[in-house]
Amino acid sequence: MRRKLAINRLREQPELTHEVVSAFVDKYRSPIIEGQHATFLFRGHADEVFVRHRVVGLPDPLPMKQIPNTDLWAATSDLPAGSRVEYQLETRNGDHYERFNDPLNPLVAHSPMGSSSVCAGEGYHVPDWALHDPEARPGDLVEHQMRSKALRREQSMLIYTPARFNTVLRYPLLVVHDGPEYVQFAAMKTVLDNLIHRLDVAPMVVAFVPPHDRMREYPNFAPHARFMARELLPELESRYPLLDSASGRCIMGGSFGGVASVSTAYRYPGVFGSLLIQSASLVFTDIGQDHGGGPAFDPVVKFVNRYRAKPTRFTDRIYMSCGIYEPLITPNRSMVSVFREAGITVKYEETRDGHNWDNWRDRLRSGLSWLFPGPQKYVYE
Amino acid sequence: MRTILLGPQRFTVRATAALRSLDTTGPVAVINAGWEEREDDITELDAALDHRMRGLRLYHRLTDVLRKDPEFGAAASRFRDRHDELTGLYRIRLDHAMNGVYAVQHQIPSHPARAHQSAAYRALHDAVAGVRAIDQWYVAELDRLYLELEVEGGVNTSEVIGWHRAEIRTLQNDCVAWVLPGGNIRTLMSVLRLFAVTIPPEVPVVGWSAGAMALTERIAIFHDYGPDGARETELFDTGLGRVRGLVAFPHARRRLRMDAPDRLGILAMRFAPAQCVLLDDGVILDIGPDGLIPDVARRVGGDGLIRSGEEALA
Repeated sequence: MRRKLAINRLREQPELTHEVVSAFVDKYRSPIIEGQHATFLFRGHADEVFVRHRVVGLPDPLPMKQIPNTDLWAATSDLPAGSRVEYQLETRNGDHYERFNDPLNPLVAHSPMGSSSVCAGEGYHVPDWALHDPEARPGDLVEHQMRSKALRREQSMLIYTPARFNTVLRYPLLVVHDGPEYVQFAAMKTVLDNLIHRLDVAPMVVAFVPPHDRMREYPNFAPHARFMARELLPELESRYPLLDSASGRCIMGGSFGGVASVSTAYRYPGVFGSLLIQSASLVFTDIGQDHGGGPAFDPVVKFVNRYRAKPTRFTDRIYMSCGIYEPLITPNRSMVSVFREAGITVKYEETRDGHNWDNWRDRLRSGLSWLFPGPQKYVYE
Repeated sequence: MRTILLGPQRFTVRATAALRSLDTTGPVAVINAGWEEREDDITELDAALDHRMRGLRLYHRLTDVLRKDPEFGAAASRFRDRHDELTGLYRIRLDHAMNGVYAVQHQIPSHPARAHQSAAYRALHDAVAGVRAIDQWYVAELDRLYLELEVEGGVNTSEVIGWHRAEIRTLQNDCVAWVLPGGNIRTLMSVLRLFAVTIPPEVPVVGWSAGAMALTERIAIFHDYGPDGARETELFDTGLGRVRGLVAFPHARRRLRMDAPDRLGILAMRFAPAQCVLLDDGVILDIGPDGLIPDVARRVGGDGLIRSGEEALA
């Protein structure tokens, strides 16, 4: 017989004193993961308490119920194995709403928009290659600045060179949209150091490029694409020993950065031999213009609709990933077959995660090792 | 001619015993270029070889050539691009052909008596022959690329390369044995070719992992547990051919899916009549002048099972 959930066992206690509840909370913290269920807890006084998240398929806000005669609130939700969900709690007192990270949960994820609590389902682990490995020799990360005629401004960036960088060798190039965010929130330097050390990915030069006006530059903006293909690339080729072919060049990004990657490669076919796009905002409509994404998505929808009407093979290979709990899962699934029918080789992966940096971090090994496999297959010590 | 092939030496060191068994005294020529930037970190290796090591430093020489001979450097870059392109095309063809092999294999009746009489069985052999043809095409194309590199890079006329070749000859001249440790087989083969290294037949050799692979006729690369999952075993290059009729699979337990006899059986069929021999930790294969592979060798059978001794040859 299946064991009752901990919260239900608590409810059945004859007397729910403050001490009993405290002992319960101290023992389990929040959320309580039991098989395919997650129980969120909150202690305090409020008119209402909610779990706020962006998981497609679950109600948001998810109301918590107060355990009678206590200050403990709880809500139980489905949580399939391997899931990872970011959430916050929200209280209402009269007309006053307050949103905050779960005080009973030490797990927190960070992003440019702030932080969130993390609910990790059974079987989810932060990959060991995403954590600092003292054995892995670190690469270098240096700042670089260049003048862009296309963008009419100075463009800063971070350039990564791998450990044991040797100018007599030649390296693949990876250009990363939202570059500094990938370093800060997806631990991308650590990931590169580790994956190169473990021979999972080839040593490579990586340009981490930040946007200036992201919502303008990333959704199919001609000057941005011109900068990437006609200014940044020659600049990097003049400074670093890079492979001199499209197959040695990859452009990547998440969300709108994924759109920027696709539109740049589309505008300059044959320049970037591969793309790595994560939760790309490739929103489209099959009829009409009502895409539901707001004005920011208008140029995206226009671009993607045009591409879908006449797909072309603008690159050789695309690694795509998307979380199945995010609204972008449907457009991403749809685009896989469109790219493939255009003759592009696509590796597509879905994860039980959302639109967030930890999800994108967790897929880096899979994407990078597919696009630029390391020498593992050649090394027999 | 005596050649000793060993399994990986990281956890079970057999190199010292193997070298001593040769009953020689004097310097030992060592090619550990597969270690690349770590080529000069030789303290442990030298100790394992009773401090008789004479490192030929072929990786160091390769980087020296790349620095000093721009003509060769440019040709080497072009070779790398062309080889990458060739490998990409080979993988596409190989993956499709292997998918066909597995699809046909699944059609073979499970009953042994019916299996060998079935059309699917004959189709399987024909499909594997198709894979062999792709392997042969790859090797032929690779030979062409090596020839282009030789001509475009002035390999036989370069002063720098010539100087290194001469120095290597002097260094190896009085060596009584050779040792080829493991490492990056791609790097190892490229330096062996660049410096036209030839091991005198009468001088005994000990090789392990990548070093053992380099001593064979055909080098297959494999890794079923890479980050991208199981990929097909690929033919990579032709080796020095000192050991014949054997394809070496070092680290087999860690790198090959031993629980997939169907795949292993295809592997054995693909490389037949050569034997797919597993070189795991602790393995010592002492191959004498007759060139026969010792009975103790663990080989992959056509049925995908691993056997050693007479059972393997049945």
